[in-house]
Amino acid sequence: MTQCLCMVQQGQISAAAEAALRTGLSAFAQDAFGSPAEINWIVVPERSGFSAGEPSAASIVSLGANEPLEQPRRAALLKELCDLWINTTGCSINDVVGVIRDPETS
Amino acid sequence: MPLYLCNSPKSTISDEAKPAIAADITRIHCEVTGAPPAFVHVFFLEDSPFLPLEGKSVVLLGNIRAGRTDETKAGMIEQMVQSLHKNAGIPIEDIQGTAIDTPARWIMEGGDVFPEPGEEAAWLAAHEAKLSVSGSNI
Repeated sequence: MTQCLCMVQQGQISAAAEAALRTGLSAFAQDAFGSPAEINWIVVPERSGFSAGEPSAASIVSLGANEPLEQPRRAALLKELCDLWINTTGCSINDVVGVIRDPETS
Repeated sequence: MPLYLCNSPKSTISDEAKPAIAADITRIHCEVTGAPPAFVHVFFLEDSPFLPLEGKSVVLLGNIRAGRTDETKAGMIEQMVQSLHKNAGIPIEDIQGTAIDTPARWIMEGGDVFPEPGEEAAWLAAHEAKLSVSGSNI
């Protein structure tokens, strides 16, 4: 499974949008990394998220790649990931932070 | 990014204290690293298994861009722990603070891959110019 962490502000994303995101993210992970996403969905409680010191509308979506990525491929995947989030939720481009991590090395 | 996550049992940190702590964390991060405030996110979680408390009252985890020294990170976290102590009344010894690195090239924010530390001004200028053409604001 592809590990996927989503961190969203309470009340910001509807149940329908969450379901669509879960489906979309799993398909994205399958296509990009060869396995569906195992999603850890974390909701930041109301009045508990801040960006630039002000109440936040930011969401974080972070996936672990199955192998180290060359930067052009990572950048293309990050754009695809953020576009998926924006198109599904209707949020601003400035309100999504995408992360694609290389596998941990020991 | 950076993303600071602060986990504690429910009601340990009041809703009134959170804005002050978030403002302090944002200010401290920017003063120490030179990063602009627009980059700094602070999220307070309650009883989250994502960030185990392991006997502490509060765990603060800073996920910051790679490129800062261990000394810089430790000094920054120490000031943030002081803010939690001052604003939430939590004993220093009950607060665990840590900072971990994420390479800037792994992150996209505002539709652009994140700048390396020290390259923020050029990144912001290019980003604002791009958004002004597309009709959005940063």
